[in-house]
Order: sequence, then structure tokens, then C-alpha cells
Amino acid sequence: MSKGSVVAAEAPAGRKLGFFEKVRKYRTLIFMCLPTCLFFFFFSYVPLPGIWVAFVKYNYQKGIFGSRFVGLQNFEFMVESGKLWSLTRNTILYNLAFIILGNLFAVFMAILLNEIRSKAFKKVSQTMMFLPYFISHVLIGVLVFNFLNYDTGFVNTLLTKWGFERWQPYANASCWPAILIFIYLWQQSGYNSVVYFAAIMGIDGEVIEASRVDGANAFQKIRYIILPSLRPTIVILLLFALGGIVRGNFGLFYNIIGTNSLLYETTDIIETFVYRASVTDFNFSTASAVGFYQSLIGFAIVMTVNFIVKKIEPDYSLF
Amino acid sequence: MKKRVLALLLAMTMLLSLAACKKDGAKKVDTKEHVKITYMFTGSKPEGAAMDRFQEMNKKLNEILTEKCNAELEFYWIGWTDYLSVYNMNIAAQDGTVDLIGTASDWLDAWPNAKNGGFKILTEDMLKTYAPETWKSVPKDHWELCKYDGDIYLMPEDNYAQWTNHGYIYRLDWAKKAGLANGVHSWEDMTKYFEYVTANKDALGINVAWDSDGTHNVQMASGWVASHSKFVPIDGICTAALWGGTKDNLYTIITPAYSDTQMMVDFAKMMKQWDEMGVWKTDVLNNTTSTNRDDYRVGLVAAEQHHTQTWTDLCSKTPSNTIYNDPNAESGFFYFGEETDNVVALSITHGAMAVSAASKNPERALMVYDLLRNDPDCYRLINYGIQGISYELDSNGYRITPASYNPDTDNVGGATSWWWGRNDNLELKDATRNWTAIESLYKVYDKIKIDYPYGQFVPNVDSIEGKVKNCNEVFGNYMKQIAYGKYSGTAEDIVAEMQAALKQAGIEDVTAELQRQFDQLYKK
Repeated sequence: MSKGSVVAAEAPAGRKLGFFEKVRKYRTLIFMCLPTCLFFFFFSYVPLPGIWVAFVKYNYQKGIFGSRFVGLQNFEFMVESGKLWSLTRNTILYNLAFIILGNLFAVFMAILLNEIRSKAFKKVSQTMMFLPYFISHVLIGVLVFNFLNYDTGFVNTLLTKWGFERWQPYANASCWPAILIFIYLWQQSGYNSVVYFAAIMGIDGEVIEASRVDGANAFQKIRYIILPSLRPTIVILLLFALGGIVRGNFGLFYNIIGTNSLLYETTDIIETFVYRASVTDFNFSTASAVGFYQSLIGFAIVMTVNFIVKKIEPDYSLF
Repeated sequence: MKKRVLALLLAMTMLLSLAACKKDGAKKVDTKEHVKITYMFTGSKPEGAAMDRFQEMNKKLNEILTEKCNAELEFYWIGWTDYLSVYNMNIAAQDGTVDLIGTASDWLDAWPNAKNGGFKILTEDMLKTYAPETWKSVPKDHWELCKYDGDIYLMPEDNYAQWTNHGYIYRLDWAKKAGLANGVHSWEDMTKYFEYVTANKDALGINVAWDSDGTHNVQMASGWVASHSKFVPIDGICTAALWGGTKDNLYTIITPAYSDTQMMVDFAKMMKQWDEMGVWKTDVLNNTTSTNRDDYRVGLVAAEQHHTQTWTDLCSKTPSNTIYNDPNAESGFFYFGEETDNVVALSITHGAMAVSAASKNPERALMVYDLLRNDPDCYRLINYGIQGISYELDSNGYRITPASYNPDTDNVGGATSWWWGRNDNLELKDATRNWTAIESLYKVYDKIKIDYPYGQFVPNVDSIEGKVKNCNEVFGNYMKQIAYGKYSGTAEDIVAEMQAALKQAGIEDVTAELQRQFDQLYKK
């Protein structure tokens, strides 16, 4: 690493390096990013022609390019279902909530962690926050059911004990956005906060030192030093997250809601709908059609947001 | 290539000298090279000691197979979690690792996979040469039912009596106490029975009348339709059996669950009544961890919804069915369609064997299948395991379990899922089954049944695929609410809402298209 930066600094000003010279000079850096480049080349670019499968009637024997071309027929069922709009809306709204609240919460937790002075307490709380991330969605589904079900659920047992009426969330669609977002935050925030915590650790100690000499209190330190320093990290993570905004969190939704059609109004996302519609007839083409639709929208959103960020603060944009 | 030419030549010689080669034909096939045949099927892979037992059987079986056709059999399990997608994905892989594929036209995607090019076309020559016993035992009209576009793709399990028509398994002794001296014979009787058991829950020692996991919606709806009409649904379009003909008019397609408003309103009302009675748990639609069948065996619930074949187990005094420790306990079966004598026999491709299109040794795969299906030693090994360990015969020739038998490890037949070539000529009857009750019900069935009439109809859904999917989805969603009585508002409102949604999803277009294809096939 140090060698690379030294080399870069030594490049004589004014003289442009040829391509091969550049390659030779920066070979260490190039070598270091080679695995990543190869990864994306093989797993993201090589399969791209496979998108074609979304436009054919796929036959195993004839292969992707030998199968009969059917135009947009594979996209039809999504449109014909009349649900395309509500599914896309649900998916995007949930993801917006996950991204915005998730990041806010993660930043908040990272700052709190940073302020804890007792080392033992810090370690214990970090572990506790981390733990939910490693619980599978299947288990979470079971846990939630045991908490919330009407007959024997934990919440309802408490409610009846305290003399309140029972609550029936599994027949009540309107309460699920809040429940699902809560579960998501509980599960993900601890893990997400690590990046921010690392960013805080990376803030130049002298700046913080200087603020203390100037008499800033803890809140002022957070407001004027830590938060501004975290801004680039927040913006970049947001941009990355927005690319997947049309991709729903299938595991979370399917394991908690299952096939309870009473709750679909507020909880059905593109993934769960497509799963139900396709699980009975294994169809690569319609699945790819949906994936293609999601990628297109995701691409459009990233481009738009990046464009806006570029206008406001060029340094923070991705490209 | 060379081998294939050779096989072809052989097949031709066989044809030319048909009569002469009849008996020792199979011996002349080139089996010089020892090959491994992989059999893929749905089932749970045995573990630990059960796997050891299974392997003992497999070893013995392979000895016979090696001797008779120089091949050995390898098992490839598709576990039950998401079995259909995993199964189809494995067929789609076409990497040549699989030879024999257990399949079904109704509950596994036999026809879509045949259409998509997943299965090998089985020519008559191939069958005659490599699976001669099977070829002889399956009648010509049955082979017709295994054809798509004029080619045979499946070898049907057509000589095995089983009934998989659905209904309710219930406690006959409790029904008698509920005032139903003859047991349950209609949905109204079922209501009466549930009224009694829900009211006497604690006295009967049950947790809940029926611990449904919330997935019986479509089955219940079909059952209601069968019991209130002469509707005969077409298999293999989608899970919701929406389309079909009637017993009097088989080839005119109707959709009673959509168009017969009064019938569906009555259904919604009765199910609301069941829900309010507490037949199932309040959050039944998310009750995924239920173990109702096992609970039934030990008397913790009062009913199970499944098919006749399951009832034949649950009504018998087997070691796991501890309810029969009480000598008064009895299990009855209310089959859907009982009120209207509307029972359709199973399609012969409810179980069938196919050969993977990518199989490297299709000829040998057929030979192995022929032995497993028709050779008594192979048949007993793959179906029951090793005699003396997994089963024993009593003096009447019935199958019993040896004294040392441990159901957790020795049930080899449970691990092989041989549901694609059972053969009544070689079956060993299970002595623990309650044959008096079972055979008397089978007699009733035989009197009223009609054969599945649409065996040859393989719908071409390419142009209506999206609409079929959407209808299936809409129907399933509304039936969750209707069949479990979870809808708000009146029964009339919810049925009207469902009808509007089905219309929107294109149900009428699908009906019209299917009718067109029906006319093409049947009005020749």
C-alpha cells in the first residue's frame, strides 16, 4: 500500500505515462484489486446475456438462445394480475423505511457505543446487539408467531393477565408495517452500526482533542465533529442501498407472514407474490422477467439519486 | 456412440425376431460395462442408524442388479422442503447425473417437464427391448395415457390399488356419542361432530378439534364442490381445481367455484360457523408448526383432513397409533363427494417413472426399472427392506414387523419412496392394517367411482399461463379467508368480491381457451 502511494507521488508532473508504463508502475495496486474485478466480471458481466431467458419460452434441451422468442409474454402475468403497482409500492416503501430508519438507528447506536467508557460494558452490549443478526429468518418467524399469536402468544397472555382485551395481529393488516420494521431494526441495527462505529474510530483524534480543549461538551462534540465526519459514509451507504430498493427482503416477509392472505394488502412484496405464483410451475422465464424489471428500476433509481447527489455535493457521488 | 449404434441394431434384431427372442431378449442386450443408475425422487433421506439399514438393503439390491443387468442403483433424495422447486431445478440441470426420475402428472410436474425437454422419449422399441415385463403388463390404452404429442414419456404405476380422494378422518366412537350413530356422511354431519368435540374438548382430552396448519383451503373448497355437484376437475392446470366438466357432461368446461354463487355462499357460511366454534386455532393461517397427524395418532386432536390412503393408516392399530389402546376407539372417513356419489378414481400417472433426457445410460435405466417393478426379490427389497430385519411374513402371507423391529431405523420402505412402480401382483399386505374397514370402503368406491376421464388431455397453457397463475393465486387467497371463515363482512360480499377478482384475473378467458383445446381433442 505504502509503496503504491509513494510511486504515485513520485510520478513526474507534466509527463503522461503510457498504458503499459502505468500498468507496470501500479502493478501492486492492480494486483490487489484483481480478485474483485474478476469476481464482478464472472458473476455480474458474464451472466448478462442470460437476461435473454426473460424473452423466450425456455426449453431445457434447446437452451437459452435456442428457445422460442416470445417477446414480452413473460412479463404479462405481472401486469395482468393488476397488482404490479401495489407490489412495487409496498416493496419500495418498506425498503425506504428499512434504509432510512435502519441507517439512522445504526448511526445512533454507533455514537452511543462510542460514548461508553466501561470497556466490559461496551463489549457485552456490542455482542448483544450483534446477536439477532445471526438468527435465521425461519426462527424469527417462529419467534414472532409465539409472541403474537392469539390463543397462546406471549403478548396476549400478558394482556389477558393485566385485564386487557386480546389483540389479533394475524387478522389485522394495518399493524404489520410497524411490526416488520421493528423486527428489521432489531435484527439489523447492531450489525449495520459496525461500519459507522469503525468510521467514528477513524476520526482524527487531534480534532476531538482540540474540541475538548475548546470546551465543547459531549453533545456539541457529536453535533459538530462526529456527525459531519460520518456524512460521506452515510451518503455512500445510502446510495448503495438504493440500488436494491425494488428487491424485497423475501426471507423476512415470507417467514413471518407466510401465506396469510388476510395480511397481503400491506405486506405483499414483489418477491413473495412471484414466489407464490411460480412455486407450482417452475418457470425460469417469468422469474427472470421479474428480476429484469427489478434491475431496471433499481438502475434508474441509482442513476437519478447519484445525479442529484452530484449536483449538490460532487465529492460524495459514486461516479 | 458405438454403444448406441449397437443397441439400435440389437433393438432392430429384436423386432425382426420377436417371437424367438421373447424370453431371453434382455440377456442379449450389451451389458458389458458396469454402470451406476441414479434414481431421483421425493422423500426424506434416512440418517444415522436408519441410513446404515438402508445401505444394507441397497447393497443386497445392487448384488442382484449387478448379476441381472450389470448395474447398480444409487438413490438421490429430494427433501420435502420446497420439494417441487428443488425437484424441477434438478430436472432442469440436465447434467447427466440422474437417470430414473420418479414423477406424477398431478402432484409433480410430469407434463411440464416432458414439454420442457426434461424427459427422454421412450420409444416402443426401447420399452420392448429393455423393459419387456413392464411393456407387457401395461395395457395399450394405458400407454396412450402416457403420451404427449404422440410420444411416450412415462411408465405408469397402473397396477396398484390406492385411493387418494380427500376427506375428513374423524373419531367414529366420538361421532356416535355426538348422536351420529352411523358416523359422518355429509358436511352437516361434520358440523354436528365438530360441535360435539369442541364443546367437550376437555373431557375428550384434546387440545383443539383440528390443528390445521392453514393450508387446506383449496382442498376443502374442492371437497365442498365435489359434495354439492357432479363436478369432475381437470388435473395438472394449477393447484386450484377450478376447471372441469360434470359427470353428465364431461366435455363442457365449467367453473362451479366461480360461477355457482349460492353454493360458495353456503360454504363460506358453514366455515364461518366452524371458525366461531373453534374447530381450528384462531391464528390458523400462520399455524405452520402444527403436527396434526401425529397428534391424531395419540388422541390430541379429533380430526385430520387428508386422503383415503392416509386413513387406511390412521384407522389401523399400528404401534404409532396409540389411540387404539382404548378398545372403543375407531376412525371413520368422510370422503368428499359422498353426498353425491361423486368419486373419481386416481389417474394412472399419479405415480410414474420417467428417464432423464440427459441420462447417459437410458437403456440400463429401463432394465433396472423393469426389475424393480417386476422381479419379486428386487421388489421386496426396495419396498420393504430385508426380510427378518425390516419385515417378516406371517402364516397367512401378510407382512408383519419382526420382534426386533424399530420403526425409527428399520423402515427401509419409507426411505425409498417407491411410488412409481408398485405392483399389486407382488405387494405384501400389511397385517396391521384394518383390512375389514378398508376393503369395505374400497367396495363402496368401486361401485360409485368413474375413471379419471381426462388422462389424455395435456393442456397447452402457453398462451394463458399468466391468467392461470393469477386465477390460482386469487382463488387461493380468497379461499384462505373463506375456507377458514376469516373474512369480514357477509358471506355474500366475500364471494362476490372473489368472483370479481377471478373475472379480473381472466378466468373466463382461460375457460374459453381450455374449451377450445377440449373440442380439438374430444370432438374429433
